[in-house]
Amino acid sequence: MSAPDDPKARDEARRGWLLSAPALVLLVVGASGPLLIMLVYSFLEPGQYGNVEWALSFKAWFNVVMTRDIFDGTLGFADAHLTIFWRSAKLALLTTLFAFLVGFPTAWFIATRSPGARTAFLFLITIPFWTNLLIRTFAINQIIRNEGFLNTFLLWTGIIDAPIVMLYTDFAVFVGMTYVYLPLMVLPLFAAIDRFDMRLLQAGYDLYASRWQLLRHVIVPVVKPGIIAGSILVFIPALGAYVTPRILGGGRNMMIGNFIELQFGQGRNWPLGAALSVVLLVVVTIALIVYTRFAAGSQDKSHG
Amino acid sequence: MSETAVEARETRKVYGQGAAAVTALGGVSLAIRKGEFFTLLGPSGCGKTTLLKLIAGFESPTAGQILLHGSDITFDPPNTRPVNTVFQSYALFPHLTVAENIGFGPKMQGRPKAEIAETVKRMLALVRMEQMADRKPGQLSGGQQQRVALARALAPAPKVLLLDEPLSALDLKLRKEMQIELKRLQVETGITFIFVTHDQEEALTMSDRIGVMQAGRLLQVGDPRAIYTRPANRFVASFIGESNFLHGTLRGNEMTLDAGPVLPVEKGDNAPAAGPVTAAIRPEQIRIAAGGGIPAKVRDTVYFGTDTHCVATLSDGTEITVRLQSPVSGDVGLHPGSDVHLRFEPGALIVLPEET
Repeated sequence: MSAPDDPKARDEARRGWLLSAPALVLLVVGASGPLLIMLVYSFLEPGQYGNVEWALSFKAWFNVVMTRDIFDGTLGFADAHLTIFWRSAKLALLTTLFAFLVGFPTAWFIATRSPGARTAFLFLITIPFWTNLLIRTFAINQIIRNEGFLNTFLLWTGIIDAPIVMLYTDFAVFVGMTYVYLPLMVLPLFAAIDRFDMRLLQAGYDLYASRWQLLRHVIVPVVKPGIIAGSILVFIPALGAYVTPRILGGGRNMMIGNFIELQFGQGRNWPLGAALSVVLLVVVTIALIVYTRFAAGSQDKSHG
Repeated sequence: MSETAVEARETRKVYGQGAAAVTALGGVSLAIRKGEFFTLLGPSGCGKTTLLKLIAGFESPTAGQILLHGSDITFDPPNTRPVNTVFQSYALFPHLTVAENIGFGPKMQGRPKAEIAETVKRMLALVRMEQMADRKPGQLSGGQQQRVALARALAPAPKVLLLDEPLSALDLKLRKEMQIELKRLQVETGITFIFVTHDQEEALTMSDRIGVMQAGRLLQVGDPRAIYTRPANRFVASFIGESNFLHGTLRGNEMTLDAGPVLPVEKGDNAPAAGPVTAAIRPEQIRIAAGGGIPAKVRDTVYFGTDTHCVATLSDGTEITVRLQSPVSGDVGLHPGSDVHLRFEPGALIVLPEET
């Protein structure tokens, strides 16, 4: 914990730092670089056939919040952007919540199995990663479309007499994202529950806690780091999801990811796409800071 | 006879089924009195922890009953029993402070906030941990964690406190301190303590009564003096303290040793009236004399600091250990091969019951 006073140990620590060089290079070139380009592009003019004109312009940022009516040219608040953003946030939050509700019992179940069974279950959890996201999403499409397995089955059993429209709704996007991101919730939760000392349950049970109280006052607070990690891992990609809303939400129920893609594609407005990306990044960053502060704060108030 | 706090009636616990079944507890009956410090003593795997778990409610007996203050609690879940446990691993909640750990029980019982705060304060004072109230368990030493675990278990004012080898993780010096501390806490609170240990010294120094267990059976129950001076069988005699065993033939109150001499003996409980028997004698009860008693030959002496153990052999080869106080200077003056005579008070040699 204290700083290494031994010069030898210091040298070793320095050499250890060198080991992180590849990671640092990758971070600078692979993450910071593109982000910087996005930031620069957001302050340029859109090119006629996509790309950008190298001329300073704040039009893109203006267009993030304001919109000019295409018929009479009056300025108005860009509420469509807000709608899309709100839908994205809502779906991402719902996905995170639902992935947690399904993922927690799953992770608990796996963590409490014998070592052999545990490996097998974890293996099963990772299997979906082997298949392309696109294909998996199309598979869900097959299940929930009007002539899909689910509706065919329900019609056959007579529970319904007309197919339930699920495809190309927010519900479809939500189901698809929950399915796709569930493993990202289960794995960190498993890691946290695996470290959880089950003897604490005995202690809590002995000290008059009911099962519900054990969950609330012992299990959840102790595995909280896993819950935080899982929620972040699900929420961030869900917020920026592109493939799932595209295939299961159709063109109508756009999420922010699709909207950004639209600017770079058919919209041929790269600066607006770049500006929207930066907004998304900032919102996610703020949300994460608030979330981790809030989550960690309730745990460490005694040190305050 | 004072009132009974905990009673086990013909309690059996079998783990597994069929051929793989293991009997952890084979029909134990035991009555523990209110306000006593009772120790379950035995080697690991003797069933003492199983019995504790049955009283705590973490396990249910295969057969038999558990009664608490006269009412049947055999199948009550742990969170409804006014019984708390101090765990071997302490099992403190790592996310809660010392004060919050101690307040956990009363909080779950739904006590009012002011009462909880008052209880926590009282418990912190009781285990002398006032300074540490806001620390997390990870910031405490083993001994401090032990105190918190004790305070946490005592805070809900249980009728019975169960202690599952709570001192085994501590080093010797700390263990001695905590032994005194535990005894003090028990006297101050007046709560019935049921203490599980495999350490016979711990059992002897702290307990009002001891139950000695082996292989799922309760061999002997009694106060430390009775257990030590009148062991019920060979296992108790050798597990609690050290014992020398002499074989011979009993006739009336005299025993003819296989080695020759005839000695007066004290008959233990259930000792046979006559015939071939085994008798036990404690090493510290034997003196070395110039004449009289049993002739023996010194084989070896071992220096233990305060004591020196002298191992002598009788004419039939039986080895006898004699515990002598080490002299201020020099050695005890016994050398391998020298002839000595072993003497002891009548009554020190206890005839044990036949092994079944």
